Amino acid sequence: MGVVLRNLQKVVPLRRARLRRDVDTLRHILGIQKFDLGIICVDNLRMQQINNTYRKKNMATDVLSFPFYEDLRPGKLPCPLHRDELNLGDVFLGVEFVMKQCQEDSIDLHGALTVVTAHGICHLLGYRHETEEEWTEMLQRESYILSEYNRLTGRHLEPLTKRCTQDR
Amino acid sequence: MLKSVVRAVGAAVRLSSATTSTARALPLSCPTLCAPSSATTRPFTRSLWMYSNSGASSGYRPKLFSSNVLNPSLSCGCGGLHTEGDKAFGEFLSDEIKEEKKVQKSKSLPKMSGGWELEMNGTEAKLSRHMAGEKVTVSFNVNNSIPPNFEEEAEQGQQKPAEEEPEIVSSPNFVVEVTKQAAKNSLVFDCHFPEDEMGHGEGEEESDIFAIREVSFQPEGDSDWKETSYTLNTDSLDWALYDHLMDFLADRGVDNTFADELIELSTAMEHQEYIKFLEDLQGFVKCN
Repeated sequence: MGVVLRNLQKVVPLRRARLRRDVDTLRHILGIQKFDLGIICVDNLRMQQINNTYRKKNMATDVLSFPFYEDLRPGKLPCPLHRDELNLGDVFLGVEFVMKQCQEDSIDLHGALTVVTAHGICHLLGYRHETEEEWTEMLQRESYILSEYNRLTGRHLEPLTKRCTQDR
Repeated sequence: MLKSVVRAVGAAVRLSSATTSTARALPLSCPTLCAPSSATTRPFTRSLWMYSNSGASSGYRPKLFSSNVLNPSLSCGCGGLHTEGDKAFGEFLSDEIKEEKKVQKSKSLPKMSGGWELEMNGTEAKLSRHMAGEKVTVSFNVNNSIPPNFEEEAEQGQQKPAEEEPEIVSSPNFVVEVTKQAAKNSLVFDCHFPEDEMGHGEGEEESDIFAIREVSFQPEGDSDWKETSYTLNTDSLDWALYDHLMDFLADRGVDNTFADELIELSTAMEHQEYIKFLEDLQGFVKCN
């Protein structure tokens, strides 16, 4: 299977091939190519609905992850017995939300989406940022992923967890 | 009044000269229809009975103008069959047309953004735009463009009060044809709106707003799909290639915004054609 990419919004003009290539690079860095993964791009309205339904937060956000395995130890890949369990879950990207941030900070949208996706995939792999300890652990993992990504692509991306302190 | 007399005379002449065809239309196996007594209560059958049995050939013309023909509550000069059912049907259609016109958002069709030109031929529509030596056309037909699951919902919706009825949305398959000046053939994309996206929105497996089903090279402007051209089916396609094809379309103005506007246009067209059909049907039934 691989990456199932869905674009359910019309606010942000997305480059699908670019997004898929970036997600594939992240999967390669993390060694999770054999797992299926859903990347779903939505607008603020849809993101707000999902956030309200599943987290009781009635506001749009940049990324929401829905892990297939809910009790993974951070950094330990699941060991599925069946082919249909080779699935990590879905990452919902709030592309409208991310685009507005990019406009404010004058940064590249697809670079920002890569950072946000890396953060979302870390959640699928069991990382959290509810405690100081978890936050540090997740930041370290994201920093590693993005430094590898930067090395492979020549870009200069920074982890999202750096900006996540208030959302713990 | 004068108009109806003229029409009645015209009908009498036409019918009397075509006795055999009128007789064929009469259900001969039903003797009561032919009895004069039934004609007094049912003017329609009376008039047919008269034309077929006592027309010009019988030399009994004055009878034609004597009573019921001048009071054609269920008859007209068309020579066609008119029943109580037709009358009720016509009244039903009249109400239906009124209702449909009430819910019609606008008589004019919504405009597509992005400089697309619209050309219409009945239920078919063609949108076209030129950009830097390329011509892009998008064709669709509003016939059979309402998803079947949606029709089921509409039926269920009839049980509910009118304001709760779901809005009918037309989401036709559409064909995008990209023609380059230098190229021999056009690149043709057969696209559709996946059904799980339509009208639900909260499904587990959500699809893109629109999807490419097949891609093929075809002679420019040919309405028939040349089966001998290789056709790329997207069911078993490398997803990276699929994404490039979607980006290719987006660069030519066929993206989610376009798809959304196409649904609006198609829905308005479908509704317009539906009302036109109802009006034609009413005219046919009533025989105006």
